[in-house]
Amino acid sequence: MDRIMAVAGGTWRRILRMPVVYFLVLCVVALVGSAYRYNMLSLGMHKTIMMDTSLALNTLAAILVAISITFEIPRELRSGVATTLLAKPLGRTQYLVGKLVGISIAGLVITGMIGVGFCLVFITAFDRVAMSMVQGHLLVMGSVIPMCAVGVLFSVVAPDPLAAVLTALVIWFGHSTAAVLGGIPVLYGGITPDFNIFNLKAESAHEVAISWWYILLATLWGVSFAVSVLVVSSSFFSRKDLR
Amino acid sequence: MWLMGNVIEIEELTKVYGWLPWRRTVTALDNLTLAVPEGAVFGFLGPNGAGKTTTIRLLMNLIHPTSGRALVLGKSPDDVKMKERIGFLPDSPAFNPYLTAREFLEICAKLLRLSPDRRRSRVEEVLEVVGMSAHANSKLGGFSRGMTQRIGIAQAILNHPDLLILDEPLVGLDPHGRQELEEIIFRQEEEGTSVFFCSHILSDVEKICDHIGILSEGHLICNGPIKKLLSETGLNVAVVPGGDDAATKLLLDATSSERREDGGWDLVLPIDAAARVGSVMKAHPGQVSQLPLFETLEEFFFRKVGRLEEKEGRGA
Ligand SMILES: Nc1ncnc2c1ncn2[C@@H]1O[C@H](COP(=O)(O)OP(=O)(O)OP(=O)(O)O)[C@@H](O)[C@H]1O
Ligand SMILES: [Mg+2]
Repeated sequence: MDRIMAVAGGTWRRILRMPVVYFLVLCVVALVGSAYRYNMLSLGMHKTIMMDTSLALNTLAAILVAISITFEIPRELRSGVATTLLAKPLGRTQYLVGKLVGISIAGLVITGMIGVGFCLVFITAFDRVAMSMVQGHLLVMGSVIPMCAVGVLFSVVAPDPLAAVLTALVIWFGHSTAAVLGGIPVLYGGITPDFNIFNLKAESAHEVAISWWYILLATLWGVSFAVSVLVVSSSFFSRKDLR
Repeated sequence: MWLMGNVIEIEELTKVYGWLPWRRTVTALDNLTLAVPEGAVFGFLGPNGAGKTTTIRLLMNLIHPTSGRALVLGKSPDDVKMKERIGFLPDSPAFNPYLTAREFLEICAKLLRLSPDRRRSRVEEVLEVVGMSAHANSKLGGFSRGMTQRIGIAQAILNHPDLLILDEPLVGLDPHGRQELEEIIFRQEEEGTSVFFCSHILSDVEKICDHIGILSEGHLICNGPIKKLLSETGLNVAVVPGGDDAATKLLLDATSSERREDGGWDLVLPIDAAARVGSVMKAHPGQVSQLPLFETLEEFFFRKVGRLEEKEGRGA
């Protein structure tokens, strides 16, 4: 566990030390906040639109974090940074778990900051925050772990520009194919991920209460999906020749 | 089975790079068999592309063999726990550029399971040993080649390893750095650490190593204690002052001669003049002394590697 956290620490520290991260978080929050000024244009729907946009932007942040790992792992493998770590008593699976934990922590902190930022904007603008919106942001945070796992998988099996593209495709696919594959339970939301379970923008925006059970189960699905993806990644990775 | 007394055992190890059918395959190692005795400082030599780095990567389980097997400290290279007793410096080491030297070494110490209080002091200790204390809080990304190499050495000796595996440790080091590395290796040897390293700087290898192995095109062409391998090429003969008669008899055969200030002579004679030196020593007792003269590692290296190429030239 110590060793996994040592690897994870390196990863999330690196991302959270970049000033640009905080600048972007601030920009995103300011963008939604500024929508309040334009309530004339949105025919009084600005609150709904703001809620919807805030969730969409936070999801986007989560996706970007997941894609960032597809650059980090191949770069570490190529430059030999990973070699130094793997020559220590650190198993290859432990390395991958550490990377996933690290990037997930970074993702949770970033999406968490964005969520809290939006809540503050809403409190300032409307004096209260709808519980459904808090839940919506919590679900976005929950989606970070399975999406990062997809990033880890592709960074192990594909060269780096391709890994990012494949990760983006799978995430997009996972957000959009309910109509096509939704009828086949084992496939969609089983083998291929169903990231739509984390997307309750409509419910949040219209302030329809979401059950806490749902949030818990969705998060559990996310974690178990991440674990199974890690198992596959690790079996690839342990056979790989490193530079 | 681990034969007692060998820290590394390699048996018929073969590594072929490239498996895509439309790419050329490269046989980097061809049935390599090699053993490194415990406590040895083993210099692994060979021309560029001989397969030294490949061997080391196989030993560290960074790549997988095509066939054959290796044992490191009696364990298979994929044994994670065994690595607690190993120190490894890769060729052209690279570290997370955004970490400071101290942070990086602390992560390494964590991976090596050093206890938290031991961790602190040991990190400071190794920083001191490699002369990098002043840069402990600088980011690794800003380090020069030699500074990076020093940090690489620091992380390799962090755990007082039983076996130190170094891939071209001398590269990038300034003269001080090279001397310091020699001292570090000597100190490790005193602590009972076995050292396995490859290098192209033969003069340093000769100074540091007690065993060598020479690899060429994936084949081991010789291996053993350096003292046994380097053959006698001549004799260093000293003649006392006043022994001019004896000196005159030897001067004709000498390849070099020098008159000392005290009036004595220092001569170098080829090995085939040994009998003549013997007879002169008998004729002038107490006036002549001799010491065997060995070829340098460089001469030996060229003799071995050159000869192999000659053979191939003849075969072709
Ligand atoms: N990843 C790789 N893919 C394909 N071929 C490789 C790879 N790594 C090494 N080789 C080939 O294997 C052979 C041995 O390489 P290796 O790096 O082990 O040599 P070396 O003895 O360490 O040389 P040097 O003294 O230059 O460091 C070379 O012919 C090299 O081209
Ligand atoms: Mg090499």
